[in-house]
Amino acid sequence: MDELRVATELDTTQYIVIKIGDESYGINIAFVDNIVRMQHITRVPKVASHIKGVINLRGIVVPVMSLRLKMGLEEDVITKATRIIILKLETQGTVGIIVDEVREVITLDSEHIEKVAQDSTKSPEHVNFVSAVGKTGDELVSLLDLNTITLENE
Amino acid sequence: MDVSQYLEIFLDETKEHLQNLNTQILELEQDSENMDTVNEIFRAAHSLKGMAGTMGYKRMQNLTHDMENVFSEVRNGNIKVQPNMIDILFQCLDALEGYLANIQESSDEGTDDNEPLIKALNDILNGNAGAAAPKKEDAGEVKSEAKEEKKEAPASDSKEKWMSIKLGETEKGLFEKAKEEGQHFYGITVYVQESCILKAARAFLVFKALEEKGEIVLSNPSTQDIEDEKFEFDFSVIVVTPESFDDVVAAIKSVSEIEDAFGRELTEADFGKATDGDSEEEAAEEPAKEEAKPAAAEEKKETKELPAKAGDKKPAAKPVVNRTVRVDIEKLDVLMNLVSELIIAKNSLVSSTSGEDTHNSNFNEQIEYLESVTTNLHESVMKVRMVPIESVVSKFPRMIRDMQKSLGKKMELHMTGEETELDRTVVDEIGDPLMHLLRNAADHGLEETAVRLERGKPEVGNIYLDAYQDGNNVVIEVRDDGNGIDVSKVRDKAISRGTITAEQAENMSDKEIVDLLFLPSFSTKEQVSEISGRGVGLDVVKSKIEALSGEVEVKTKLGEGSTWIVRLPLTLAIIQALMVIVGDEKYAISLGSIQTIEDISPSDIKLVQNKEVIQLRGTVIPIIRLSDVVDATSSKSPEDNMVVVIVKKGDRLAGLVVDELIGQQEIVIKSLGKFVSKCKFISGATILGDGEVALILDANALI
Repeated sequence: MDELRVATELDTTQYIVIKIGDESYGINIAFVDNIVRMQHITRVPKVASHIKGVINLRGIVVPVMSLRLKMGLEEDVITKATRIIILKLETQGTVGIIVDEVREVITLDSEHIEKVAQDSTKSPEHVNFVSAVGKTGDELVSLLDLNTITLENE
Repeated sequence: MDVSQYLEIFLDETKEHLQNLNTQILELEQDSENMDTVNEIFRAAHSLKGMAGTMGYKRMQNLTHDMENVFSEVRNGNIKVQPNMIDILFQCLDALEGYLANIQESSDEGTDDNEPLIKALNDILNGNAGAAAPKKEDAGEVKSEAKEEKKEAPASDSKEKWMSIKLGETEKGLFEKAKEEGQHFYGITVYVQESCILKAARAFLVFKALEEKGEIVLSNPSTQDIEDEKFEFDFSVIVVTPESFDDVVAAIKSVSEIEDAFGRELTEADFGKATDGDSEEEAAEEPAKEEAKPAAAEEKKETKELPAKAGDKKPAAKPVVNRTVRVDIEKLDVLMNLVSELIIAKNSLVSSTSGEDTHNSNFNEQIEYLESVTTNLHESVMKVRMVPIESVVSKFPRMIRDMQKSLGKKMELHMTGEETELDRTVVDEIGDPLMHLLRNAADHGLEETAVRLERGKPEVGNIYLDAYQDGNNVVIEVRDDGNGIDVSKVRDKAISRGTITAEQAENMSDKEIVDLLFLPSFSTKEQVSEISGRGVGLDVVKSKIEALSGEVEVKTKLGEGSTWIVRLPLTLAIIQALMVIVGDEKYAISLGSIQTIEDISPSDIKLVQNKEVIQLRGTVIPIIRLSDVVDATSSKSPEDNMVVVIVKKGDRLAGLVVDELIGQQEIVIKSLGKFVSKCKFISGATILGDGEVALILDANALI
């Protein structure tokens, strides 16, 4: 993990590229505490369906949510590539999100990041979670707005 | 000077001193002749003043200074303690608490000068017939001095702090002698670099350097305090030496990590100015002048050395100061977490070996050893977090005293078990609920004096606060010998408010009716008084105590009084629990709430009002199927016998149907975090020996 945390230069941000289905998403590395393999998740009764439960992260109990369910996609299919990304957020504390695959770390400078207008053509519940789009080579990566994703609105 | 890093310590210590003052002044009210109390008060006020001054809180300093003056007069027997004086002193304490609250919020003391209080204090001083004249000047002087300081501070940046050292007769004598001998008297303030770690050591080196040059007459803070590192980044000394000023400063600066030194030679004028106020004070303090000098000198020393040293001088003075270290509670939490992890690791070791043959006895021995070590370690870490409830309850006598005046009832508070210890987090939270219960007892519980006399009770109402440990709980009882709760009144009120219907009321036991008091906004006293009955009532008490995993109940007898019983868990972090299986998931139930475990045949289940109940040894117990509660599918078929865990909450019982029992285990409670806290009946999670997370069921929330 440590080599991933090398100091970023001015105006560049590192993103971890993950996959959900066929789409690539970027997660700002500053909020990533850890990436762990899929493990047993203890279900917690009577909570929202996208909250899958809690896991034991080296002695700390961390809630885990499904990014797919939160985005309105179908249930996760657990494969060898499935990972739980542990995020450390200022307001919501520590939370894990389940992703299909973790691909790579990319560095984007600010001119390659384009803010997304909220009235995009995509489905509304989807676009809310994407704050910007980054260009790396010819590929486009949707950058996730972590605060919106982890916000509990019930 | 940046003092912000000391703010927390300042706040803590100030609170302690204020509490101490509160207690002592109360004692003084009872026994106005007790000199130990007066001395104790004087010391506390003096330390307060010093601390406020250091932190730059001038208003606070002024007020405490005037208070200190009053105590100093009392101590010298010039003023007798009078009830109105006690009242004023209490008001002063309230004002100081006000400052403190301001400081806590904004690290600024606010702008309230509390002039009326200062005036009242000065009036007390002036009211003293014998020493009236000099006293007035003295008080005036104090003020102007304080003002002078204020003015001086911004102007010269007050680098030469030695100017504030009080020079007494002794020093003056020395000064004259030194002059005759051709020696010089210098006042110097030495600044240590802020990055300096071993300030005391540096100061010591400075002292040593100075002693080579001459003699140190006075230092501020005292030598003792400097050795104990009880100073910020500067200290002031008065030295007498034959050397020139530059030589002396050079000697000081030769010590490394010394930022700078300021000062100059003292002249006659310095003594004139400084001794003016001082000698007058002395004259006022002690009519017999010969005694004044040594007494004053002694006093200065003594008060500076703080209560720590007071013990040996005044064997009768009671607080034997504990040798303590202030530790940030977060550091303890970290320690606690490490211990928790150790326990988890131990649990997993135990579970990984339990299945195998036990032929390796050495291995088992080691595990048992590890077990005893972790248990002991856990206990001692828990103990570190424990503080006596005294810190909370000691403010209550003052409160009752004030209420006595405002309610016009005579009452007395008796406290026992103040030394009972509880987890720090619990102690911090328990103050408000207890205060509320006491206020209730005083306002609602105790009858008016006339009524008491009519009923043949002693005129003075008694309120008791008893704390004691009971197994894994700490019990705090608030008891009064007042009227008790009038059940029929509560019932009528509940009906009139629509809380319950008349028919419901018919079927309710007295106890159930009384429990209605814990519902939000339920005050039975007809007249809403200032003290209680504003609607924020027992429901808040109840929810607060329950938030601490405690419980509260009330026992009452009409005409004889009521007892409120608060039961709190001794520890919050690690509990003994019963592990059960529901569906294919493991859950923990706190052992504390479990009564028995029963094997029940499905045919024993009866339906009462469409709810499943069982009859057990004559009691009807509702049963709760945990598989329904947690949305799991029970692994058992409906014909099988059921395992029912009987849990208790207060007087109520309930049976929790589980699929299987695993056994008893010591578990470490972990918070579930924000995301899943909405689930009411899950009080937390724990990590099992195999690393899996199991949820803890809160039986209280299920009933």
